[in-house]
Amino acid sequence: MDAEVTIVTFEDIFQYEAGKKGRYTDEYRDLSARIILDKQDMAKLGAKDGQKLRVQNDIGSVVVAAKASEDDPHPALAFMINSPWSSQLVRDDICDPSIPGFKGIAAKVSPTEESITQLSELLQRMRA
Amino acid sequence: MIMTVCTCTGCSLLCEDIEVDIEKGTISHAKNLCRKGWAHFQALFKERTKPTIDGEAVTLEAAINKAAEILANSKKSLLYGWSSTSIEAQAAGIDLGKKLGATLDDTSSFCEGTLIELVMAGKIPTCTLDDVRNYADTSVFWGADPSNSHPRHLSRFSYYPRGEKRQKSYEEERSCVVVDVRKSATATLCPNYYYRLPPGADGQFIESIMAALDGKIPKFGDKKRMIELGTLLRKTEYGVIFPGLGMVLSLQEKMDLLQKLVARLNEITAFKVVPMVEHFNTRGFNQLLLDQTGFINSVSFQDGAPVHDPEQSVIAAARSCDAALVIGSDPLSALPFGTARALAQKPLIAIDPHRSLTTDAAKVVIPSAMCGLEAGGTAIRMDGVKITFDPVMKSDLPSDEQILVMIKEAI
Repeated sequence: MDAEVTIVTFEDIFQYEAGKKGRYTDEYRDLSARIILDKQDMAKLGAKDGQKLRVQNDIGSVVVAAKASEDDPHPALAFMINSPWSSQLVRDDICDPSIPGFKGIAAKVSPTEESITQLSELLQRMRA
Repeated sequence: MIMTVCTCTGCSLLCEDIEVDIEKGTISHAKNLCRKGWAHFQALFKERTKPTIDGEAVTLEAAINKAAEILANSKKSLLYGWSSTSIEAQAAGIDLGKKLGATLDDTSSFCEGTLIELVMAGKIPTCTLDDVRNYADTSVFWGADPSNSHPRHLSRFSYYPRGEKRQKSYEEERSCVVVDVRKSATATLCPNYYYRLPPGADGQFIESIMAALDGKIPKFGDKKRMIELGTLLRKTEYGVIFPGLGMVLSLQEKMDLLQKLVARLNEITAFKVVPMVEHFNTRGFNQLLLDQTGFINSVSFQDGAPVHDPEQSVIAAARSCDAALVIGSDPLSALPFGTARALAQKPLIAIDPHRSLTTDAAKVVIPSAMCGLEAGGTAIRMDGVKITFDPVMKSDLPSDEQILVMIKEAI
């Protein structure tokens, strides 16, 4: 089962702190490589916290961990912390000026058994 | 224990009341640092870069000479970053850009630049954060979450402190409004005035506020709550809107809606705008470039005279340049994939105290002293106030300014 979502990125102080300790630390990866989904979307995907999900669109694709939102219901709206993982999905040929780049990423989310995308892999993609 | 009073360059609040005792390579005591600031100071001892060319260790002099060679051979270079370094380094960078005929840009070109430009041009009324502390009774955080981005904003300036005319503070005299697409940490602090928007609905929300201010029925949002917000804004004596990236990216070319709202509010009472600029010296770069060229970002000196257009923004210039120098930024972590990929495939020079994705992809890495902690200088706070800072510890590494001057001299 897939879910179509709009992803809004945001800043998180704990992830910032982890990044200062080191970009390649497990802590930075665990805080960055995750998507916060509405509980209804989590149920639709059959996902629980920590479930690996492939998030993809025509720009890129990453495997991240699911986290259930504790916010009021927001079906089809997801959140990711600003990071190299979310940046993989951000378009820079802005088509819809009302919801551009970082704050309105259209993507498809689907469960996967693949591993969380590593930062070194993201760097390789940029250099390829 | 000898506590040194210093300035934190962890964000654009540039807190000047930090006290630290640094001995034997650790911070033994610290006062007034927020979590973000603490992480910033701790970074003194973590992931420091060394001079490299193609990943191989070299002398600092060799790295600087290689950088000069790459830039000298470039026909169209991009000098990008600037938001996290001193005004002195920015000035040296602009000098270098003029010599090279390069393009210069910073994050503001795809973040808050449109708003910063309006504020700097005096088209939107603004004030200092000290005015906020002394006079403001209503603060509106719009598409901004200072609890995560500028952690001491509420405690030093906007919500909790006693001010000259706000002796009763948040308990009785200050209100905090949060407008956001998600219940942020800041929103949980002021649940009575948290307004949740769908992505991209900021323009409709502004129109709804305008209707409520004019005694009309708002067409967007919960009518009762919109009227409550209109009443709060009407009763405000001195209000400040703090727009974050969420609002700016949503409004984009429709920034005139914010101008109209602020103009309407100022017909009723006093309302100011202070952009929630993220990095500690974005406004320094914008001001310096404006003073020298008439533009705040995205400027090319290729033909001598400064040219400003979308082709000079990092989004376009990353693709069209044939070499790039990055300083005070980690674009490979923060920029959209296509732009980051374009940069990663160019001969890249990274001047950075710390390892990052950008330094890992760079052909040349030049380590620098950490600006604000190991190197002094000046910067412009998010509200336009110039702050001077001294280093808190000695470093054998050159400052960003010194490195840029050395590169220029070597060309």
